[in-house]
Amino acid sequence: MLTSTFRVIRFAFQDFFRNFWLSFVTLTILILALFSINLLIVFNIVAKSAIASIENKIDISIYFKPEIPEDQVQSVQRYLQNLAEVKDIQYISKDQALENFKNKHKDNPKIIESLAEIEKNPLGASLVIKAKSTSSYPVILENLKDPQYNTLIESKDFDDHRQIIDRISGITRKINYGVFVVALVFTLISILIIFNAIRMAIYTHREEIVAMKLVGATNWFVRGPYLLQGIIFSVLAVLITVIIIYPLLGFIQPYLAMILESDFNIVNYFNQNFAFIFGFELLGAIILNLISSYWAVNRYVRV
Amino acid sequence: MINFKKVTKIFYPKTVALRDISLMVEPKEFVSIVGQSGAGKSTMIKILTAEDKPDQGKVIIGGWDITDIKQKEIPILRRQIGVVYQDFKLLPKKTVFENVAFALEVCGIGSHKIKNVIPQVLKIVGLKDKIDRYPHQLSGGEVQRAAIARALVHRPKILLADEPTGNLDSLNTKDIIDLLLKINEFGTTVMLVTHNKDVVNRIKKRVVLMDQGQIISDQEEGKYVL
Repeated sequence: MLTSTFRVIRFAFQDFFRNFWLSFVTLTILILALFSINLLIVFNIVAKSAIASIENKIDISIYFKPEIPEDQVQSVQRYLQNLAEVKDIQYISKDQALENFKNKHKDNPKIIESLAEIEKNPLGASLVIKAKSTSSYPVILENLKDPQYNTLIESKDFDDHRQIIDRISGITRKINYGVFVVALVFTLISILIIFNAIRMAIYTHREEIVAMKLVGATNWFVRGPYLLQGIIFSVLAVLITVIIIYPLLGFIQPYLAMILESDFNIVNYFNQNFAFIFGFELLGAIILNLISSYWAVNRYVRV
Repeated sequence: MINFKKVTKIFYPKTVALRDISLMVEPKEFVSIVGQSGAGKSTMIKILTAEDKPDQGKVIIGGWDITDIKQKEIPILRRQIGVVYQDFKLLPKKTVFENVAFALEVCGIGSHKIKNVIPQVLKIVGLKDKIDRYPHQLSGGEVQRAAIARALVHRPKILLADEPTGNLDSLNTKDIIDLLLKINEFGTTVMLVTHNKDVVNRIKKRVVLMDQGQIISDQEEGKYVL
C-alpha cells in the first residue's frame, strides 16, 4: 500500500514535468481564472468602499431654538446616541455656530454688518447626525417627533437632502445587486474554464489510461497521479496568483486613495483577509480539480 | 489452459461477433487464430482480457471461470496474462525500462526486484542497450519488442498477441514471430491472432481458422489458405 502510494506520487510529478507544455498551459488557464476572481474581489471591495465614502458624506443637521440651553441640547444628543441607527453625532454650540456662520459669509459684508447690528447671537446650537446607513435617517427623525424633543427644535435640513439621499440609496442597492450578479457569472465562468482545462488535459492521456488498465492497473492506481496533479496545479496556481496580484494591488492603491478620498487601503484589506481569500480559493481550486480529474479519468478507465 | 465453451458474443443490435465457439488450448501450445477482418479473432482476445463479456457460454483460463468476472477481479486477471497489441500501447512519456517496470509496479513488486528483473527480460527481447529510450526514439520493431517485454516480465503462463506484426515490415515481422516462438519454447502458452498468411504458414503450428464468428477449421501444423 505504501509502495503504491509512493509510486502514485512519483508518477504524478513525473507526468507533470514530462508533459511540461501541457502542464504549463493548464496551469496558466487556472491562474487566469483565479486572477479574474481576485479582480472581481477588488472591484467588489472598491465599489463598497466608494459607496461607503459617499454615504459618509451624508448627514443631517438638527437646529435648536436659540433660547434652548446647552444641557437640554446635550440631553437630546444623549438620547439620539442610544439609537441603534445613529453612527455619530457632532455637537455644535451656539458660539461655534455663530463662528461658522461668520466664516461662511465673511465675503459678504452686508451679512456681517447685520450680525453686528443684532448684537446678540441669533443662532441656536445644532447637532450634526451621521447614520449607519442612508435608510436610517427617516427612522431617526421619526424618533425626534416625540413632543419632549420636537418643541426644542427649530428646523431640520433632511427634507432638503431627502431626494439626494433616496437617490443614493437606490444607486447603492443597484450597484450591490449588479456586483453580486457579475460575481456570480464570473465565478461560474471560472469554474467552467477550470473544469474544461482539466478535462482536456486528461483527454490527451486517454490512450495511456486505457493501456495502463489493460496491463492490470486498478482504477485508483490510474486515477491517483491525475488527482494528485490536480492538487499540485491548484497549489501552484494560487501561489503564482498571490505573487502576481500583490504588486498589482500596490500599484493601484495610490490611485484608489486619490479617487475614493479616504484612508481605504486595498493591500491592507488583502493582508487582513489573506487566509480567508486565498484559503478559500485554494480549497475551491482543489475541490474543482479533484472533481473534474475524477470525472474525466472515469470516462476512460472503464476498460 | 484456455477453454471456450459454446461462447456467443453479439454486439448491439444484431452483429454476431462469435457464434457458439468452442475451443480448447492446452498449456505450452502455440495457436494461431486466423481469418479475415471481422471474423471474430480480436473479440476472442478481448473476452480473454475481460474487455468484453460473452453473452452465452463459458470462458475458463487456467481453471478460473471468467465468464462473469467481477470488476475488481479484472486487474488481477490481466496481471496473470501477457498481451501484445497491434498498436503497441506503450506509455509514450515513460522509458523502455519504466514501461516494462509498470507491469510489475501494478502488482506491487518492490523496486529492488524490479531493477534486477528488467535487464534480464530486455536482454531476451534484444533491447538491453535501449533501456533508457522513449518509445518515439525506437523503431517499430523495437517498440513491439518492448511491448513483448512488458507482457512477459511478470512471467505469465499465457501470452496473447493481437495482430502484433500488423504495423511492421516483413523483416521486423519475422523477428517478432521468432521471439514469440522462443517464448513458447520457454513454456508459455501463446495465442497469436493474425490475418497474415505468410506468418502462419512459416511457423507450422496449430491453426484455427475463423470466419463470420465461427471456427471453420482447427488443424495441428495447419496452413492458412485464403
